[in-house]
Amino acid sequence: MQLLIKIFLSPMAFAVGFLWPLVTQLLIAAEVMTPGMQTWLVSALIVLPFALMAQFRGSWIWIK
Amino acid sequence: MDQVTIPENLDELTEDQLGLLEREIAKKYMNIVPWGAVAWGLGNCMIFISLFPLVLLDMVPLWIAFPIATLNVALSYLPSHEAQHNIIAGRGKPLRWLNELLGHVSTIPLVYPYRVLRATHMEHHAHCNDPELDPDYDVHARSTPDFFLTYLKNLQPEGDRNSAYGECLERVGKSEFMLDALIFQGTYLVIMFAMAWTGHAIEAAMLWWLPKMIAQAHLLYYLAWAPHYPGVEQGRYKDTRGWKSKLGNVFSAGMQYHIIHHLFPRIPLSLTPSAYRELKPILERRGCDLGTL
Repeated sequence: MQLLIKIFLSPMAFAVGFLWPLVTQLLIAAEVMTPGMQTWLVSALIVLPFALMAQFRGSWIWIK
Repeated sequence: MDQVTIPENLDELTEDQLGLLEREIAKKYMNIVPWGAVAWGLGNCMIFISLFPLVLLDMVPLWIAFPIATLNVALSYLPSHEAQHNIIAGRGKPLRWLNELLGHVSTIPLVYPYRVLRATHMEHHAHCNDPELDPDYDVHARSTPDFFLTYLKNLQPEGDRNSAYGECLERVGKSEFMLDALIFQGTYLVIMFAMAWTGHAIEAAMLWWLPKMIAQAHLLYYLAWAPHYPGVEQGRYKDTRGWKSKLGNVFSAGMQYHIIHHLFPRIPLSLTPSAYRELKPILERRGCDLGTL
C-alpha cells in the first residue's frame, strides 16, 4: 500500500497523469499540432525530460 | 469601543504595569465573533467549487474564471487562520462547530488540511524565527528576489518545505494528521488527473494548478516572510514587525499589523489595525520594529 501511495504521489505520476495530457491539449489548442498519435508522442518527448529530472534529481527545473 | 487611557510618559511605568495596560487594551478587541471572516471563508470556497461546473458547462469563460480562482485560493487561508486560533469559538462554546467547520472548509482550495495547519501554526507561534523549531522558517530569505528563488526551490519535489510540516507534526506527536494531508493531496491529484485525461487539462491548470502556485507565493510572501523579516530575532516583541506594504493593507492580506496577531492571536484580523493604533505607544516603548507604519 505504501509503495502504491509513493508511486501515486511521485513526480512521474504527476507528469503522466497531468502534464502529458496538458501539453498535448495545449499544442492542439494553440493550433501548433492537430489531434492524433503524433501530438501525444511530441508532448511525451517534451514532458519526459522534466519528469525524469523531477523523479531522479528532485527538481523540475534542475535548481534545488 | 472604550478608549483605555494611556499615561503620557510610559517610561514611568514598571514592566508589570506596562504589561497590564497592554493586556487591558488588547482585551477590548477579543471575544468578538468575526462574522465577516465566517461568510468570507465559506462563501469563498463555494465560489471556487462552483467555478468547475460553470467552466466545464461553458457558462463562464476560462479567462474570467482563472483570476477568480486565483483570488479564491489566495483568500482561502485567512478564515481558517481565524479558526486555528479559536477566534470564532473556543472549546465548549456553542459556536464551536462553526469554528471547526470554517477551519476545515475554507482551506479546501489551497489543498491544506485544517488539523495540519493548526498544529504546525501553533508551533510557528511558539518558536517563531527558530531555525530548528519554526515550521515556517524555510521561507526566510534575504530579500524579495531571494524569497521568490527560495519559493521556487521549495516547490520542487525535494524542496525543504515538503518535509517541514511532517517533521514538525512528528516532533509534537501529531503525525497522525499526515493522513489528512494524504487525503487532501490524493483527492486533489485524482481530480487533476481525471480532468486532464477527460480532455480538460487546460481547465484544470487554469482553475486549480496555476492559481494554487500563484496564491501560495502570495500567501507565503505576505504571511510568512514579510512580517517576520529579517527573521533573525526571537522573543515576544522581536520576532514580528509592523511594516508598510507598498501595495497596501488589503493586497498584503492585512499583514502590516501581523505584530498584533503574534502578541494577541485571539484578536480577529479585521480588528488588528485598530488594536495596533491603540497599542502603538506601548509597542514603541517595548522597542518593537514598527517601520513607518
